[in-house]
Amino acid sequence: MSLQDQDNQDNSTHFGYQTVDKSEKESKVAGVFHSVAAQYDVMNDLMSFGIHRLWKRFTIDASGVRPGNKVLDLAGGTGDLTAKFSQLVGKDGQVVLADINSSMLNVGRDKLRDRGLVQNIEYVQANAQHLPFEDNTFDIITIAFGLRNVTDKDEALRSMYRVLKPGGRLLVLEFSKPEQELISKAYDFYSFNILPKMGELVAKDGDSYQYLAESIRMHPDQETLKDMMDNAGFEQTTYKNLTGGVVALHKGYKF
Amino acid sequence: MANNITMHQQLLCSMLEAIINKALSLSLNGTQGLYALEQKNLVVHLAELGFPLSFIVSNSKVLVTSLSENPDCAIHTSIKTLVALKNEHQLTDLIKQDKLDIVGDIKVAQHFASVAETLNIDWQSELAKHIGDIPTYKLTQFSKKVADKLGFAAKQIQADSSEWLVHEKRLVVTSSQIAAFNLQVSELDIRTETLADRFLAVEKALLSKANK
Repeated sequence: MSLQDQDNQDNSTHFGYQTVDKSEKESKVAGVFHSVAAQYDVMNDLMSFGIHRLWKRFTIDASGVRPGNKVLDLAGGTGDLTAKFSQLVGKDGQVVLADINSSMLNVGRDKLRDRGLVQNIEYVQANAQHLPFEDNTFDIITIAFGLRNVTDKDEALRSMYRVLKPGGRLLVLEFSKPEQELISKAYDFYSFNILPKMGELVAKDGDSYQYLAESIRMHPDQETLKDMMDNAGFEQTTYKNLTGGVVALHKGYKF
Repeated sequence: MANNITMHQQLLCSMLEAIINKALSLSLNGTQGLYALEQKNLVVHLAELGFPLSFIVSNSKVLVTSLSENPDCAIHTSIKTLVALKNEHQLTDLIKQDKLDIVGDIKVAQHFASVAETLNIDWQSELAKHIGDIPTYKLTQFSKKVADKLGFAAKQIQADSSEWLVHEKRLVVTSSQIAAFNLQVSELDIRTETLADRFLAVEKALLSKANK
């Protein structure tokens, strides 16, 4: 029985390595992201040595976005994907930047407005499990480094499936399981010994980055997430490992 | 391996995008040339790369991706052919030789090329912004002197090496020696042909005598 199944059967879930009540996780995750929002971009660049920008570029290329498309950037945080999508869909398209956390959404909105990206972007504070959109609304949905923080991932995937248009696709960019043992060991050392110290030093918040490392380990691996997407109704689900499986991009269609 | 290609591909697109937009921002002509290209998509398939490069203009910036769907213009070519394209008159020849294939609106490609050609960057002013006017002037003068000296040294080395190869070691001949040799070969060729004609004439004469 998978961790996700266990979570669904009892009323508990994981917050990093801790087991907490489902009703508690949302507020605990919110606390983490309220705390790191201001330093989020700097920390992303530091932690990933800037590689997160390449992972996000790959996601955009894999989305097959076209001018006029309607895109939902879920858990979009500080708007890296939204910025690119906004330029690619053009004035006839639309991008909705949605995040459950108001602090992240504010940082993202300020950043995008400062860059002059205003004409085709909407901001929505939304819970991925209960998306406040009509059925069959979006051509593309992306969720980058957000799914592992969602309390009920299966419900969130079903909700995304509902708001996706037939022919539309979901792209999930998320930390995953490294393919090789050596990379896995180096990654573990980095995550649990260096990352929290870096967080303490730069963002003055080591605990949040300890949670980040733990939440990555508790997140479903590539195959499990693929099965979860299939179960939610997605078809032709595939995934591609990036940087040796440290990150994986899952893609599924709604027909 | 596939992962590496993926990441190299994204790295290349990312670097190209940064370089192009930086160059456009430094150009004295600004980004006016891009207005007519707003939301236009030029896709270039280079034989040397295993993936397409897509250039999309949005908000006076150029986005570089590997999205190849629905381009306004798609070009299939190689880096070597692109270099040859500097000479506009070769366009038709290159298409006839199947070295260049253009699908879609060729004006989009021409407009992109025109934007690239009209880039006008005042490198001295840009450098002066960072290190000051006087150091820039000194550095420019120094660079010119170094370039002149290097040019002179290159010519000197070429002359000295020719001297050594032709006259001292006699490993190479001069162009006048080659011309003289060619002339001698031509003369020998003519004399050989004349001799061959005479042989034929003698042969014919002998044959006619024998028949009688």
